[in-house]
Amino acid sequence: MKPPAQLRSEDWLGKASAGLICGFALAIALTGLFAWFGPGGLMHSSAKAQLNMWLVAPIWAAVLSVCFLFRSGARAWSWLLFANAVCYGALFAGRWFAT
Amino acid sequence: MRTDIVRVYKDVHTWVGIISGLALFIAFYAGALTMFETPLERWASAPTTLAPPPPLTDTQQLIDATLAAHPEAANNYQIVVATGPEQPARMTWRVRKPGEGRNGGRLYASSLAADGSLQVVQQEPAQVAQLIDVLHQQIGLPFEHEISMPIMGAIALMYALALVSGVIILLPTFVQDLFALRLGKNLKRMWLDMHNVLGVLSLPFHLIMALTSVIFAFHDQIYDVQNEVSYHGALNQMFAIGEPSHTAPPDGARPLTPAELVARIQSQAPGFEIAAMTFSNHEGALEARVSGSDPRYGHRAPTSGFASVDPYSGEIVARDFLPGQQDNWSATLTGFFTLHFGSFGGNPVRWGYFLLGLAGAFLFYSGNLLWIESRRKLERRSGAVVQKRSTHVMANLTIGVTAGCMAGISLTIAAAKWLPGRVADVGA
Repeated sequence: MKPPAQLRSEDWLGKASAGLICGFALAIALTGLFAWFGPGGLMHSSAKAQLNMWLVAPIWAAVLSVCFLFRSGARAWSWLLFANAVCYGALFAGRWFAT
Repeated sequence: MRTDIVRVYKDVHTWVGIISGLALFIAFYAGALTMFETPLERWASAPTTLAPPPPLTDTQQLIDATLAAHPEAANNYQIVVATGPEQPARMTWRVRKPGEGRNGGRLYASSLAADGSLQVVQQEPAQVAQLIDVLHQQIGLPFEHEISMPIMGAIALMYALALVSGVIILLPTFVQDLFALRLGKNLKRMWLDMHNVLGVLSLPFHLIMALTSVIFAFHDQIYDVQNEVSYHGALNQMFAIGEPSHTAPPDGARPLTPAELVARIQSQAPGFEIAAMTFSNHEGALEARVSGSDPRYGHRAPTSGFASVDPYSGEIVARDFLPGQQDNWSATLTGFFTLHFGSFGGNPVRWGYFLLGLAGAFLFYSGNLLWIESRRKLERRSGAVVQKRSTHVMANLTIGVTAGCMAGISLTIAAAKWLPGRVADVGA
């Protein structure tokens, strides 16, 4: 078996921008899913809407923290864009079925 | 742990640390002091010329006399239940010009003199605690709030990244490094050991601070995006769920007196110590919001929780922010605020947060020292006689900003005590 390719400190702009932008978008999608399909449903309470806003911070920070594990900026962007496509797909499909 | 991952995250740690470290030092040093906001205000408040507040049972006379002489107060006034040096008046109200914010305008206070006549003064609350709080939030950035907060949000994100990367770096040698404090000739080793032990032992505190600060900085922007993407514009309707309805009181209904209200509220929320009641007028119907504290629970604001009360019946109509009476969603939410503010458990937790805050400031200071020390070593090894300019500048900044921050805050506090009211408006 080939040893895994070595991670290098390069292409920071690509990786960090992917983590920052795609991470934020991903957090919005995931909290959207929680808002619609989490306990209590969409129009549950003011507190749930606020909690949803708070949940953005840990998700965003987590994605931003792991984005340096990608081997290049291009890989970071493509993987995170793919994750976003899946989550937004689920969100909009779910909304379409729910309404 | 693969060594290449550790190496990458070491670089990440160094960069986010050196960019955000000094800003975080100021935020933590000032933040630690805000734990004692109320005592500081009490200590710095200038003595008042106002007569001592009437007892709560006579407060209705004070309200009637004040509103008769100053009808402009009727729209929004506050009855202070727990008066003290920092809140010497029983009744206060603000007069704002159009466009002035929540804390803008002029603050008036009234009392009853010994002969029963009405006394009104303009109040100048001690602003030193407020100043330190704003310094904590915006580290003295010379911009508008709307510009400063996203900058602070970016710093908070870097801070979160610094925490994660710091843990990753330490993981391979976690056990041998954690409790080793090698004091001695190797300065860098000693600073590194201190930096590690402080960082690891207060990691939960720091994670809380980083994540909550991201939210404090970006909440408006996040709400805006969520409103568009997830809620198709219905966010304001969500916020209104569970809000007490603005219904007009029955004809001829009379608001309860403050003493009656306090008694009614206390019977519904035993253990909730009422600090103040704010009354506002919605098209002829009076509404009341009560603030207070209960050391058994966490609080939404740094020093208090809230309840909405029907001033005609004394019934509590909204418990979303009332300590100990919230539903699970609201209690979870309050938990986030509480963990940032340290507004639970009373004085022991306050002292704990104060010490953790100072330790945090030291953590960032030691991080900067490590950066400088590493660079010096490298430069010496490469035979340089003079420091590189970047190292020199960073070393000076580290000493200047940290010492300047401490000296500046100390001087401000001293000036607030000994030069009260010399400056008309100490804007932050």
